[in-house]
Amino acid sequence: MTCEEAKNRMTDYWSRTLGEADKQEFSAHLAACEACRSEVSRVDALWRSLDLLPVEEPSGQMRERFYEMLGAYRQGLASAETQPVKRWWTMPAWQMAAAGALLAVGLGVGYGVRGGGAQPPGEVSQLREEVASMRQLVALSLLQQQSASERLRGVSWSYQVEPSDKEVLNALVTAVNHDPNVNVRLAAVDALRPFTGSPATHVTARNAVVQALPKQTTPIVQVALIDFLAELKEKNAAPELRRLVSDPDIDSGVRKRAEWALERMQ
Amino acid sequence: MMKRILMGMGLAALAAAQPQPGADGRQQITMPFRDPSMPRKLIVEGGTGSLTIRGYDGQDAIIEYTGREIPGRAGRGRGGRNASEPPAGMHRIGGAQGLDITEESNTVRVNSSGIFGGRARDMVIQVPAQTSVNVKTMFGGSMTIENIAGDIEAENFNGQVNISNASGSVVAHSMNGKITVSLNRVPPDKSMSFSTFNGDVDVTLPADTKARFKMRTDFGEIYTDFDVKMEANAPPVVEENKDRNGKSRRRVRIDGTQSGTINGGGPEMQFTTFNGRILIHKK
Amino acid sequence: MTDSAVMAEVGAGQVARLAVLFERYHRSLFRYFISMGGRREQAEDLVQEVFFRMLRYRTSYDPAQSFTAWMYQIARNAGVDQVRKRRATEVVDIDTFGERRAEFVSSAPGPEESVSRGQDLALLRRAMDQLPDDKREILVLSRFQGMKHEDIAEVLGCEVGTVKVRVYRAIRALEQIYFTLEKEKVS
Repeated sequence: MTCEEAKNRMTDYWSRTLGEADKQEFSAHLAACEACRSEVSRVDALWRSLDLLPVEEPSGQMRERFYEMLGAYRQGLASAETQPVKRWWTMPAWQMAAAGALLAVGLGVGYGVRGGGAQPPGEVSQLREEVASMRQLVALSLLQQQSASERLRGVSWSYQVEPSDKEVLNALVTAVNHDPNVNVRLAAVDALRPFTGSPATHVTARNAVVQALPKQTTPIVQVALIDFLAELKEKNAAPELRRLVSDPDIDSGVRKRAEWALERMQ
Repeated sequence: MMKRILMGMGLAALAAAQPQPGADGRQQITMPFRDPSMPRKLIVEGGTGSLTIRGYDGQDAIIEYTGREIPGRAGRGRGGRNASEPPAGMHRIGGAQGLDITEESNTVRVNSSGIFGGRARDMVIQVPAQTSVNVKTMFGGSMTIENIAGDIEAENFNGQVNISNASGSVVAHSMNGKITVSLNRVPPDKSMSFSTFNGDVDVTLPADTKARFKMRTDFGEIYTDFDVKMEANAPPVVEENKDRNGKSRRRVRIDGTQSGTINGGGPEMQFTTFNGRILIHKK
Repeated sequence: MTDSAVMAEVGAGQVARLAVLFERYHRSLFRYFISMGGRREQAEDLVQEVFFRMLRYRTSYDPAQSFTAWMYQIARNAGVDQVRKRRATEVVDIDTFGERRAEFVSSAPGPEESVSRGQDLALLRRAMDQLPDDKREILVLSRFQGMKHEDIAEVLGCEVGTVKVRVYRAIRALEQIYFTLEKEKVS
């Protein structure tokens, strides 16, 4: 391999896509050629140190903006209106921030920035629906992310969906029972509370809490579930609570709490 | 494509592929992160003994452990034929029992399942600061994670969790042990959670952090030097228990979560412990 | 599920599935625009624009094509010219650099000897900024976005061999600028 050819191989060497045969020739050339060897190691160091440059993180608002845009686009597709969706999301960021904050509070007043005028009444409930489905999308999407911190964020978002939302309820129950991270399971238990108050979902939610208790082995989550069941005065949980009280392998703090819960439920 | 046995990718890498035996049975393995299109991740599972993970200014994962080579004994690694002789021209990596180190898609995974028969194995792992770290140990001692700018997920069963000089998100839990976390920078908009069953939760944050705290300790106090704007919270609950001697004991317990915001509020930080104090320091 | 499979679903009408791609890529797209010289708000606006265009042109995506190549083609069309125009009028000197650095998420916290390391990184960042745009871009695509040479070739509309040569030349150029800066610093 000549120096010229070795230089051509360098890019592959850095991106680790150098083929087996080429790799051997390349190593052999470097071993023999002082000039190429020093060049490779010098540039190599530079290439690798690029990795150390600070990494920029976008603001959290990006997600909200995206989901608003997605929601608006879907609505535009679904609606029979010929009015084109104005691209208000390309407004300067500070204005979007204001719109986003208002969106989180209640009705999509941010959408109002588009028209500037009064909203016809029918559109308000449509917007409300749109906002709700956007939040659902965000919560569900976040709950599926690889990072525990993002799944925690998904649990936080779930407080913003309608308590009748069965999809989000299912996702939370799955998180309680199967999430690999203790903190996510713990947060998901608390997030089930609003669903136990909604007529559409309270039966499912209460059953889910009862079913979840025998599946948990982590004390901090067990205690959270027990407290929840005591609060709900859920008598269906009594057999499992009794089992916990009498099981010597269960942490004593958990057992005491189960005992207390049984008394609470009388 | 999973890379299990280390193959030299260049002169330097060839040298690093051999475990470096040192005095007192200390072994060292270098594992490169090979796929720059994916973010770096380190996953550590299992283990006995103490674990330290440290961010440094290099490129590779360097795993150092004390372990005993048991010559002539078959390993329990995956794909393991139980040959007592290594194939011609090859040597065993991770010679201590049950230590499995792999790299795939820029994730280095260190799996330490040797709780049977090995003695306690202390591990020190160095990775580039910008690496996400996910650690779960069952029978280990204390866990220390320092100088990491990626996201941290740490779970310890019986032992402390000490996280310092962190600048990514932190999600940490210890069943029995104190959690101490110090963040020198809080990334915008990332949720965090710190929980123990038995042990204090002690967290230090920069003074200008914007967050919403959710704090819960069943038996313990909550202390902070932040100016927390509290939300309406549930009143304490009085609980009657019988202690070991059958005597009746009253304990006042905070039933429910205390919530409040600092600096106008922001992403959620949860502090949960069953038996322990919560301490939130301003840096 | 692979990126191209997800995008194919979007193209087939399951528009909400774009959310999956958003979660996977919005950060690296953001960093791409920052590396190309954009300010934060600009970069965020551009990322939104890219996803909007992916929606708009969803039926034109061919699942056989590399998704990242398609995405970066859209990204380049959407913003790079706009960003370049603005950068031409900015002067990057050490003071504004200091401001920008404060914005960065620190990725190398460490012992105090990193003061001198910090200098090196500052120099490296300046060297990157002083690279001609096309050289910086190819370095960003191959080093930071970790794109395969074949995909970069598709994005830039050239041969794979050309990509490799250009990456090589870019890193050499970076090296020269870096060492020039280092000499200036010492003298």
